[in-house]
Amino acid sequence: MMNPLEIFAVESAIASEQEFYRKIIEDNLASLKLAPAIGRIKVMLRPEDSLFQMAILLRDVGTRVTTADIADVEAKPVAGEIIISIKKEQYIPELLGKLWERYGKANISQPDRWTVAISTDKAEEEAAFLKDMMVADPRHRLHENLVDFAIRVTPEGFRVRYHLYKGNRFIFVASEEVLKREWVEEAEAMLEELMKGGRT
Amino acid sequence: MAAVLRPYLYTGGVHKHGLLIELLEDLGGYIIQKVVTGTEVNLIMLIPEKDVPVVKKQSDELLGMMVEAPLTGVEIAVISPTLASHHLPHSACDVAEYLRHPGANTNMIGLARGMGRRVSLSTDYERKLINEHDIAVFTFGSFSDCIVNKKPKLFEGIEIPIVVTGGPDLKTEDVPGADLYVGDIGRTSHRLRKIEEVSALDKLNEEVGKIADNIRKQQAKDPLAVLPARAMKEIENQVPEIQTVLSPAPLTLQLNGLRVKLPYDEFHERLEKLEFDEGVTLSELANILKSKMKNYILIKIKSKSEVGFAI
Repeated sequence: MMNPLEIFAVESAIASEQEFYRKIIEDNLASLKLAPAIGRIKVMLRPEDSLFQMAILLRDVGTRVTTADIADVEAKPVAGEIIISIKKEQYIPELLGKLWERYGKANISQPDRWTVAISTDKAEEEAAFLKDMMVADPRHRLHENLVDFAIRVTPEGFRVRYHLYKGNRFIFVASEEVLKREWVEEAEAMLEELMKGGRT
Repeated sequence: MAAVLRPYLYTGGVHKHGLLIELLEDLGGYIIQKVVTGTEVNLIMLIPEKDVPVVKKQSDELLGMMVEAPLTGVEIAVISPTLASHHLPHSACDVAEYLRHPGANTNMIGLARGMGRRVSLSTDYERKLINEHDIAVFTFGSFSDCIVNKKPKLFEGIEIPIVVTGGPDLKTEDVPGADLYVGDIGRTSHRLRKIEEVSALDKLNEEVGKIADNIRKQQAKDPLAVLPARAMKEIENQVPEIQTVLSPAPLTLQLNGLRVKLPYDEFHERLEKLEFDEGVTLSELANILKSKMKNYILIKIKSKSEVGFAI
């Protein structure tokens, strides 16, 4: 298991420019709350070739979240409703979104911060379904954030981009010119190096 | 010859600040801009040099603060390669905001296609818009190779002094076409507030102040036919509609003219016929043009040698 940011390398021909970019990367990691998800990262800057290369190894970010993981679901067939008692508040927006889609806003009420009540005539069946319903997929959100992060840290003019996201590996290459095959291969080699864990 | 005017910024309470305005009118000074925020008031003003102590005394009585504002009456264009999040709000907005402290009016201009190395370019419209200002400040990034070799093509066609900010520590003469380079203000994703960043901004203000002073000195050799501040006051008196304009700084002073934020088609004739006490009209003293900024009016005042006299 990797520690967050156990390798954080930025390389460039000019030391001071390297520091500027390290700071930009740090700031963007912070604003997208990505630091805990990234184990090892290496960035290579070659402004003279209009080239930006980045390789990232992600940490294990956990699995899909179902309703049962974040709340207790209780069916009340006599009253014709389901009561959901929230335990983890952070996923409420996603949960509500899914519930609204399924039952309509009119059938859902929130008597207080920790309770969601759904009125339905099939309380038992629906409760069983809800318990296993997927509420959020952190991996999906991570992918969105990762792409956003890559675009934010890259120099703006570098609009020809290549990216690969497979398992816990992420490669990003950007340039102003048509991408050369060896640039992508170099980024792949950077990733190999990160996987070996050798100091870069 | 008119008295020499010194630019000052007054900050104090709203209470009784009218006294200061009255005093200034009696002395023959000008209020350039008045900004009231809650119970505070900021006045940017031009004071006749010999009367500065009198105004200072009044300001002390009101428990306000008076500091010199060397960039008063200077309109600066802060130009960022594009309006993307890569450049805004940090650091371009920080630069613009900081330049306002010593009294400048800044406009932010985001070029449509200014990003990149080989592909960056500016359009004719953008260059004309920039040339309406007194000084252009280009906010560039962190790579010295770009700043030295690639970005200077954006300076083509810019006729006003060019100031460049960027990350690396370069000399002004390394950046072709620039009149001033200030380092340590490169691309950042955080607010500029560390010691070295704030000192870089201070240095920028100081050096831009010197450029403005230089322009003023050159101008003094062949003075303007009328002071921009005086034209401003006459417009305030004779075109009352300017009071209803909601834009910030409805009348924006420049070193050699002013921008009037009224629609050109409706108002340019009235401005041309604007009459001074001496009996001359504004159109004799200045070129009244349609601005590239929205539908505004741009007044560029002619020099004494061109008109034959000055008032």
